[in-house]
Amino acid sequence: MLPEFEYHRPASLEEAVRLLSELGPDAKVIAGGTDLVVKMRAGLVSPRHVVDLSRLTEIRFIRDEGDRLKIGAGTTLWEIENSREVARGVPVLREAVEEMASWHVKTTATIGGNLCNASPAADAAPPLMVHDATLVVVGPEGRREVPIGEFFTGPGQTVLGVGEILAEVVVPKMRRGQGAAFEKLTVREGALSIASAAALVEISGGRFVDARVALGAVAPTPIRALKVERALKGRPATREILRSASREAKADIKPITDVRGSREYREEMSVVLVRRALERAVERAGGAWA
Amino acid sequence: MSAEGRFRFVGVRVGRKDGVLKATGRATYAYDVWLPGMLHGRILKSPYAHAEVRVDATEAERMGAVVLTPRDVPDVLFNPRLVSVEEDTFKDWRVLTDHPRYVGEPVAAVAAASEEAAQRALEAVRLEPVRVYRPLLDPFEATRPGSPAIHERVMRGGAWVDVEDNVACTLEYSEGDVDRALSEADVVIERRFHTNRRYHLQPEPKVAVSRPDPDGGVTVWTTTQTVHNTKILISQVFGIPQSKVRVKKVFLGGGFGSSIHTNLVTLVAVALSRKARRPVRMALTREEDMMHDHVSFEMHMRIRAGAKRNGRLSGAEFENVMDIGAHQIQPYPLLGTALGWFVSLYKWGAIRYFGRAVYTNKVPSCALRGYGNPQVTWAVETVVDELAEELEMDPVEFRLKNYVGKGDLFWGQGPTVKSIIRSDGVPELMRRGAELIGWRNRPRPGEQTGRYRRGIGVARGFHTSGAGGPLSGSVIDYSGAFLKVNEDGSVDYVTALQDHGGGTLDAHAKIIAEELCIPLEKVNVVWSDSSTTVYDVCTHASRGVYVGGEAARRAAREVKRKILEYAVRILNVAVGPEALRMRYDEELKDAVIYVEGSDAQTTLSEVARTAWQRNWGSISASVSFRATAAPPSFTAYFVEVEVDTETGRVRPVRVVAGADIGTVINPELAEGQVQGGFVMGWGWAVLEDTPYNPETGALENMGFITDYKVPTAGDIPPIEDFRVIFADTYEPTGPFGAKGIGEAASNPVAAAVANAIYDAIGIRFYELPITPERILRALRERERQGRESAQERGGGLS
Repeated sequence: MLPEFEYHRPASLEEAVRLLSELGPDAKVIAGGTDLVVKMRAGLVSPRHVVDLSRLTEIRFIRDEGDRLKIGAGTTLWEIENSREVARGVPVLREAVEEMASWHVKTTATIGGNLCNASPAADAAPPLMVHDATLVVVGPEGRREVPIGEFFTGPGQTVLGVGEILAEVVVPKMRRGQGAAFEKLTVREGALSIASAAALVEISGGRFVDARVALGAVAPTPIRALKVERALKGRPATREILRSASREAKADIKPITDVRGSREYREEMSVVLVRRALERAVERAGGAWA
Repeated sequence: MSAEGRFRFVGVRVGRKDGVLKATGRATYAYDVWLPGMLHGRILKSPYAHAEVRVDATEAERMGAVVLTPRDVPDVLFNPRLVSVEEDTFKDWRVLTDHPRYVGEPVAAVAAASEEAAQRALEAVRLEPVRVYRPLLDPFEATRPGSPAIHERVMRGGAWVDVEDNVACTLEYSEGDVDRALSEADVVIERRFHTNRRYHLQPEPKVAVSRPDPDGGVTVWTTTQTVHNTKILISQVFGIPQSKVRVKKVFLGGGFGSSIHTNLVTLVAVALSRKARRPVRMALTREEDMMHDHVSFEMHMRIRAGAKRNGRLSGAEFENVMDIGAHQIQPYPLLGTALGWFVSLYKWGAIRYFGRAVYTNKVPSCALRGYGNPQVTWAVETVVDELAEELEMDPVEFRLKNYVGKGDLFWGQGPTVKSIIRSDGVPELMRRGAELIGWRNRPRPGEQTGRYRRGIGVARGFHTSGAGGPLSGSVIDYSGAFLKVNEDGSVDYVTALQDHGGGTLDAHAKIIAEELCIPLEKVNVVWSDSSTTVYDVCTHASRGVYVGGEAARRAAREVKRKILEYAVRILNVAVGPEALRMRYDEELKDAVIYVEGSDAQTTLSEVARTAWQRNWGSISASVSFRATAAPPSFTAYFVEVEVDTETGRVRPVRVVAGADIGTVINPELAEGQVQGGFVMGWGWAVLEDTPYNPETGALENMGFITDYKVPTAGDIPPIEDFRVIFADTYEPTGPFGAKGIGEAASNPVAAAVANAIYDAIGIRFYELPITPERILRALRERERQGRESAQERGGGLS
C-alpha cells in the first residue's frame, strides 16, 4: 500500500517552485506517477509531501520553433508519440517512445518524469542526448539551462536542487544529411530496457562528419559513447569502420548485473545495439556507404 | 470433434451468457462485495525468510484496531488444499504463525474502519526477531545435514510425523527390471532438467469478505475455485459446523490454480471477523499476491531412458526433486501425478521412479495450470526428441510408435487413478499438424548460418479430464447438479462448480439445453453457495466440462424422464413415457413432445404449466456424480521460431496447435483456451521466473510486474499464423462426447518451443526459462568449443 503523504496541487509553475522550496527535501514532484507511485508502493521512497504538476498546462506543449523543438516537461509520452512535429523534427525520440511501456502507461507518463526519475534505463534520454538537447530548469533562483549530458548524476539522481523543476526540453531538429535511429533490447515488448542505444550521424563526401551515440541501462546514468564517436568522426563511412567503432562501446560503459541481465550480456549487447543503431542511422542519412 | 449438424446447441457458436454482465462491469467479484458496518483488514507479513518472532500489538490496539496475533487463532494445523483423502493429507500450516518460514508468511493481522486506518495500525505492530535462521533457497542445500530444520514435525491425517532433512514427502515406484532393460537397450540417454518457478498472474488478486452470523457461523465471499472445500476447511480450522459456514459463489477473475486451495487471506478474514464481530474485507495488492502467496512447483528432474533400434522404448528412470517452498499445498499427490504424467505419455517399458518434495524458505508452491504436467512434459518431450534423433527416426513417427493411446491403461492422475483410453485423436493431430506446418521441409538442426535462424519443433502432451476412476483411490473427485423446471417451462440450474472465466458454465447450459431441447436463454445458471448445492470438489484438473457437465447432463436426463411421465398424462393416447420423443422447435422456441406417426403432441411449457395448475408437483432432479474415468485430452503443438543469434531473442513465427477434446461444446471458447494455453506456455518457456535474493530470501522483483513479464498479444504470431485444429473424436464417457481442455492446451508448449529452438540453432536447453541471455551464452560457448577443437585438430596435424 501507499505510505501516507500530504498532497499538494499548485495552480502554476511559479507556485509549485515556491511550494517545493518551502517543503524542502521531504517533498517529491509527481506528474504521471508511473515511477513515483511504484517506488512508494515498494517502500523505496516515502516522501512526506507530494506536489502534483499533472494539471499544469503551461508545461504541457510541443512547439516547433524553426530549427528546434520545445517540449514541455508535462507532455505525455502518448502525446509525443503522436506528434507530427516530433515525428518530423526528432524522429528518433518518437521511435524510442513508441517502444516504451503500454498505452495505459504512456497516456499518463510524461517526458519530464522519465528524465527526472533518472533511471539509467530511461529510454527518452539516449535520443535526446544524441540530439544535444538542453533542459530548461526553473527554480527559486530563476531559470537555467542544463545540457542533457550534464543533467544525470547517478541512478535516480540529477542536478536538480531543492525547489527546482524541469520545465521544458529544447531539442535541435534533425538537419538534412543527418540520420538517427534507436535500438533497444527487452525481455518482451514494452518492457524496461536491458540495454538501449541511440545514434545520430551526418555523412558528407562518404565520411562521418558527425557521429553521436548514447546508451541506456549500461552505466549509472544514460551516457554518451564518446570512444565510439571518436572512432567514427572524420573516418570513411564503411561498414568495417562502423563495426570496429561499435566495439569501442565496451570501453564507454559500466554495466551491472541485475534481474534483467548480467554485466557480460549488457556489454555484448551494447556493441550489437550501437552497431545496429548506427547502421540504420547511416541508411536514414542517405544510405551512402563509402 | 465437429459437433455441427449432430447437435442443436452443442458445438454452435453463441454469445456468452455472462457476456453483457462482464462487458458492462455489472458482474460481482469478491472485490465488489461491500457490506454495512464492514471493517477492512491488513496482514502483517514476515520480512524474514525463516525466524521465530515476537509480536507486540499494544500500540495498534491502542489505536482502536482489532488485532489478531498467532495466539488469537485456533491451534490447528491444516493443508489449505483438500483433494487427497484425509490419511494422505499433510498438514503444516497455521492461520498465523510466530515462526514464519518464508518472506511474506502471515504473522499478525489488523482490522479497522478503513483500509488506511488498518494500514496505520499494521505499521504500529512491532515484530521482534527472537531467532533468525539462515534461509534455505535450494532443495539440495536444504537436504544437506546440518541445514536448519524448516519443520520439525508435521501431521499426516491425524498423526504426527517427523520431518527429516527437510524432506516433506516421498514416493517411489517401479515396474519391471529397469537396469536390465537399459543395459539391453541400443540407445540410452540421461538428462537433467531444472524448471523455473512461475507466478500465476491471474487477473484478480485474492480477496476475502467474511461476515460473522448470529447463529455462530460465517458467510464468506472469496476468490476460490471451490466453495465446498473452502467451507470444509473453515469448518475444520474454526470448529464451526459445516451447516453454519456459507461460502458464496462470486465471479472469479481467473484461477490457473491460484485459488485451487483456500487462500490464507480467507482464513485470516474469518478469524478477524469473528474477533471483531463485524464483517471484515481483505484485498491483497498485486505485489502481495505475487510476493507472498503462491508460485508453481519448481522441479529438478533426471530422466534416463533407453530404446531399441526398432524404435521401441524399453526402459526409463525418472527422478523428480520438487522445491515446494515453506509449506505443503498438496505436493504429495503431485509426486503421484508427476509419475502419472510421465508414464501416461509413452510406453516406456520398465520404469523406476523416485520422487521427493523438499522444503525451502520460499513462497509455497501450488498447482499452476497443469499441476506439474508442463514441467514433466517438457523433460519427456526433450528426451523423446533426442532419442528419435539418436535412432535416426522421424520424431513424429517415433512418438506415434510409443505413445499411450486408445485401449491402453492410463493413469494420468497417479497410480491410484487408472482407467482405459477410449478416444484418441493423436495420430490425426500429429499427421495433420505436420502437414500444416511443413514438417518434412523443416531445417536440419544447427545447419543454418546468419543472424536470424528458424526452426520447427514438435511436442505432444495431454491432460486428464478430472481425476475420476473406477476405484475410489486416494483422490477425491465427484460433482453434482440440481435442476428444476419452472412453471413456464424454463429451468434453473444450481451448481457449486466454479467458472474461472473460461466459460465452463456456458458449456453446462448448452449441455442442459441440448438434453431438454430448449433454447439456451431458458436455462438460468443460479448464483449459489455451499449451503444450497451438493458437493463439487473443485474446478481443477480440466474437469469442469467433463465431470461437472456430465453431472448437469444427468440431472437434465432425470428431469426429462419426469417431464415425459407428466406428458403421458396429457397425451393419454401414448402407451407410456417410452413412446414419447422430444425435439426442439425453432418457431415455438420450446421443446415439443410428440408420438412418432401420430398428431399427438405437446410442449414442455404446457407440461410445466399443467403440472402447476393441476397440483402434480415440481419437476426437479438432484444428482451427485462420480466419473469412473479421467480420459486424456490430447494436444500436439508444432511451433516455428526465429532466433536472433546476435541478441539471443526468440520469437514465435507460426503455430499449429492440435487438440483432441472429443466433442467441442463451445468452438470459440475452446479455441480461446488453446490460444491462451500457447501464450501462457510461451511465457513459461522463454520469459518467466521468480528469482530470490540469496541473502534476504525475498523475491528480487519485490512482487512488481515491472520485472515479471508475461507475453502479450504483441509477442505472439498474428492470428492467421496461429492455426487451431480439433480432432474428430467422441469420448463415450463424456457429456455428448466431450473431454476437458484447460491444461492440455498449455502442457506441451514449452517442450515444442525448446525443440524448435534446437532445430534453429542446434543447441538443447535443460533449464527454463530459455532466456535470450542463456541462448546467447550457449551460442558463444559452442563457438569457443568449435575454435578449440579446430585448434586441437590443427595441433594434431603439425
